[in-house]
Amino acid sequence: MGTFFEFISEHLMQFLQFTAFANLTVGHVIMICIGLIFIYLAIAKEFEPMLLIPIGFGILIGNVAFAPGYKIGVYETGSVMNYLYFGVLQGIYPPLIFLGIGAMTDFSALISNPKLILIGAAAQLGIFGAYCSALALGFSPTEAGAIGIIGGADGPTAIFLSSKLAPDLMGAIAIAAYSYMALVPVIQPPVMRLLTTKKERLIRMKPPRAVSKVEKVVFAIAGMLLTTFIVPSGLPLLGMLFFGNLLKESGVTKRLADTAKGPMIDIVTILIGLTVGASTQATTFLTLKSVGIFALGAASFVVATFGGVMFVKIINLFLKEGNKMNPLIGNAGVSAVPDSARVSQVVGLEYDKTNHLLMHAMGPNVAGVIGSAVAAGILLSFLM
Amino acid sequence: MIMQIRIKYFLSGILILLAVISGSTKALAQNATDFRFNEILVLNDSNYVDDFGEHSSWIEILNTSYSSVNLGGCYLTDDLSNPTKYWIPTGDPATSVSPRGYIVFWADNQPTRGIFHLNFKLENAKTIALFDANGKTLIDKLDIPGDQTTDVSFGRINDNSQKWKKLEHSTPGANNDHNRKESAGEKFVQMDPYGLGMTMIAMFVVFSALAILYIIYKNIGRFFIRRSGSVKKDFTTKSKRPVEEVMSGEVNAAIAMALYLYQNETHDYENTVLTIQKVSRNYSPWSSKIYTLRKTSR
Repeated sequence: MGTFFEFISEHLMQFLQFTAFANLTVGHVIMICIGLIFIYLAIAKEFEPMLLIPIGFGILIGNVAFAPGYKIGVYETGSVMNYLYFGVLQGIYPPLIFLGIGAMTDFSALISNPKLILIGAAAQLGIFGAYCSALALGFSPTEAGAIGIIGGADGPTAIFLSSKLAPDLMGAIAIAAYSYMALVPVIQPPVMRLLTTKKERLIRMKPPRAVSKVEKVVFAIAGMLLTTFIVPSGLPLLGMLFFGNLLKESGVTKRLADTAKGPMIDIVTILIGLTVGASTQATTFLTLKSVGIFALGAASFVVATFGGVMFVKIINLFLKEGNKMNPLIGNAGVSAVPDSARVSQVVGLEYDKTNHLLMHAMGPNVAGVIGSAVAAGILLSFLM
Repeated sequence: MIMQIRIKYFLSGILILLAVISGSTKALAQNATDFRFNEILVLNDSNYVDDFGEHSSWIEILNTSYSSVNLGGCYLTDDLSNPTKYWIPTGDPATSVSPRGYIVFWADNQPTRGIFHLNFKLENAKTIALFDANGKTLIDKLDIPGDQTTDVSFGRINDNSQKWKKLEHSTPGANNDHNRKESAGEKFVQMDPYGLGMTMIAMFVVFSALAILYIIYKNIGRFFIRRSGSVKKDFTTKSKRPVEEVMSGEVNAAIAMALYLYQNETHDYENTVLTIQKVSRNYSPWSSKIYTLRKTSR
């Protein structure tokens, strides 16, 4: 009888060793707290809920402290999470998300006022500001390139590039990119106010003209050919972006466009959010490097906003009165569609209740998506 | 209708053509044309040993493509007049070569020892050649120089080079260039340690790409604006209508009333027909809140 109880107690102890309680570390607790904060921000504050809920819950999943070797964790070959993570590691999900983004984006604002495209280029300064800083902090060139792309404020692009250049840092980079994208309404307004005068904030821009269907179709085709001929390494992202847009604008593939911008992007968003969240296992995530990445990410958003706003101010020096642009749309060049355009609108309305900047800010906003994908292609071609 | 049929025929023709092309490519044993001789060792005295523990001559072949290619079905020979001398068996996963990967054959004239043991030796060979699955298409050929040194292999300087030489280190199944190579990023940062060069180049390229887009779109926009302008102009000049600068409120109201009446007259009466579609809700007790939840106490 005594032997039997010994057997029972021994196996109970053995079972306890398998529970997450036995394997829990302080790091896991910290990460679970971070996951809960993400979920709180998404539900209570409605900060990017579509992203923060899957990522936040993914963080919880990734930080249940399991005993290794049972094909449970995202980093264990053959586990379900590992299979789902494959789409992140191999850069499959980001182009599919770009397909959906293309199918839901209206480039009319950009086409009607093409000079807004250049703001999207200027705001990429944040990427290279972060790249230089990361090099100075001792990160390797490929790591610096992957960290730099946080400044593009484009989650799928950040995941795509970091999966190629620095897969080890991908979790931290993706989390930083999405976190700061959610915090755009907090980060950008002080920079915008600091760099502009009251007079500049009151500038009214001409309303955009109506754009024909032919122009939109030509934009999708010419945009893809031009950008990818210059930077072929950006093809997976840019090709899918413009393809999705052509599905939308052609008017004859409504079903395909609806699928791309509806069920498909939803499925991929769920998978990418959950697996990126789960990749933040405390054992691999909580390092000094991650802290550095978060600091550089914040700085890159500030530099990117600076680049966009200052560029508009400089361009205004050469424009006639009446054609000038409101520098408050400069921040929208950092992608983060449509949050940064919304920031332009909100800050603009603070100074003039009737000056609606949203439709003007959407131009640099979508140009920023193209610009960050081009920048990612350049980093890939130089560093890989 | 005739036009549609023509388009269908045209598209069918293109599809058939593509199918024929892809079929003919398969007939050429996938992309076997991507294989190249990469390194050989003719006189093996104390160099690498085979799986039978013997020193034999060997031939290394490189898959130059960026996808896995199967060498099965192709032919190796040391006699150009007999291109099908050694048939590489098909159906063996071991003959599938990974992207930029290698495969090594032992030229020991012992074909019974496995598919990687050839039925000829290199000692007296002047040439070796690799033929495609049809036994006619020459994929690669190597003329072996006569002055081979014992235990010194002869290979390309590096995997993409056209130049061959006697190699200091034999590297069967590996890159011939064994020196440590710096990555593109490391090379870049050596010249640009602070990232300023990268910033300048990259910003220039991003600006150029988007500036070209801007220029093209500016002009396309102008073209469309001009075109729409000219269409309006044509309309007004052809009909010779006087341009009314200001229309009074009464005129606008009259036009609106006329349009309203016209629309009412031409309205389709179908919209008054009601279609009642039954919305069926199948009862399922599994999710019924009446049976599965107790009332909250107040």
